[in-house]
Amino acid sequence: MKSTPVAYGILLVGLLCVVVAILYALGILQLFASTSSGPHYKHAILFGVLAVACFIAFNFARPKTV
Amino acid sequence: MGLLQGASELFPVSSLGHAVLVPSLLHWSFKQSDPSFLPFLVLLHLGTATALLILYRDQWVVIIRGFFAAAVRGKIENDAERLAMLLLVGTIPAAILGVFLESHIKTLFASPYEAAGFLVANGVLMLGFEWLRRRAERRAAVAAGSRAEQEAHFAQAERISFRAAAIVGACQALAFLPGISRSGVTIGGGLVAGLRHEEAARFSFLLATPVILGAGIIEVPQLFSNGVPVGEYLAGAVLSGIAAYGSARFLLRYFRSGRLDPYGWYCIAAGALSLALLTLNA
Repeated sequence: MKSTPVAYGILLVGLLCVVVAILYALGILQLFASTSSGPHYKHAILFGVLAVACFIAFNFARPKTV
Repeated sequence: MGLLQGASELFPVSSLGHAVLVPSLLHWSFKQSDPSFLPFLVLLHLGTATALLILYRDQWVVIIRGFFAAAVRGKIENDAERLAMLLLVGTIPAAILGVFLESHIKTLFASPYEAAGFLVANGVLMLGFEWLRRRAERRAAVAAGSRAEQEAHFAQAERISFRAAAIVGACQALAFLPGISRSGVTIGGGLVAGLRHEEAARFSFLLATPVILGAGIIEVPQLFSNGVPVGEYLAGAVLSGIAAYGSARFLLRYFRSGRLDPYGWYCIAAGALSLALLTLNA
């Protein structure tokens, strides 16, 4: 499925994942975490991986000029 | 404990279920609430993951190369690149569910009774997967042939669809329930998706490696807390790795012609017997 809107949607999700990863790593975001204070590195790593996956998916989904 | 964990991690019989049941039935002095139990479990998992990495070392080199090539190019050009992306797609749901649900589920269902009950459920699942597979063989009109002919009709791991890979990956989350086997549900999922038994096992082991390794590495700092007998635990990890390597080799050979049924019946019998013994000992 090669489509510019889909590709940029995925890119946006990837960027959001980066922001969420940073917020978890700094301990600012506590959503769905087992403790209510301090940094949550497990969650941060997960969102980092999701961001990388989104950037890869963006590269697959964007229309390429030959 | 290391041998038990290493062997049962890859057999479709639930390592977590056995880790809860066996010490309880044999009155071993393992306390899962003990602060040093988690580092021990981490090392055992790292032992298993290392064994899988050694077993598939050549394939992992090709897969990692394929992953970077496909990711940069934005296009899949060969089977190795496809397998790398399938493993990524299969790992993501397991990682999401693992981070958000694992501790909650494990806390909810930590008793030996529940582990025994889920072990029976795991057996029923294995038999169900094989029932679905036999139905697929009848539909494909290959039921009458030899096992090798039947298996040849099904696909290699690289041919599984991306949707199926994501579903098989998500199924790994079921294994947070003590008694449900991660390798069992992923091998079963692979069979339902149309893979050969041996290929379903290979896909299951490849899919397990990053999940087990990642979960282990994240918990490594726990090893350096006070009072952890690292030497003894390392010995357990080595034994776990040796058992896992032997199990994987055995299972890959077994699944060339074997099915999940014996493991299904074993789980039903072991779960029912454990329930009976736990009730009698209570």
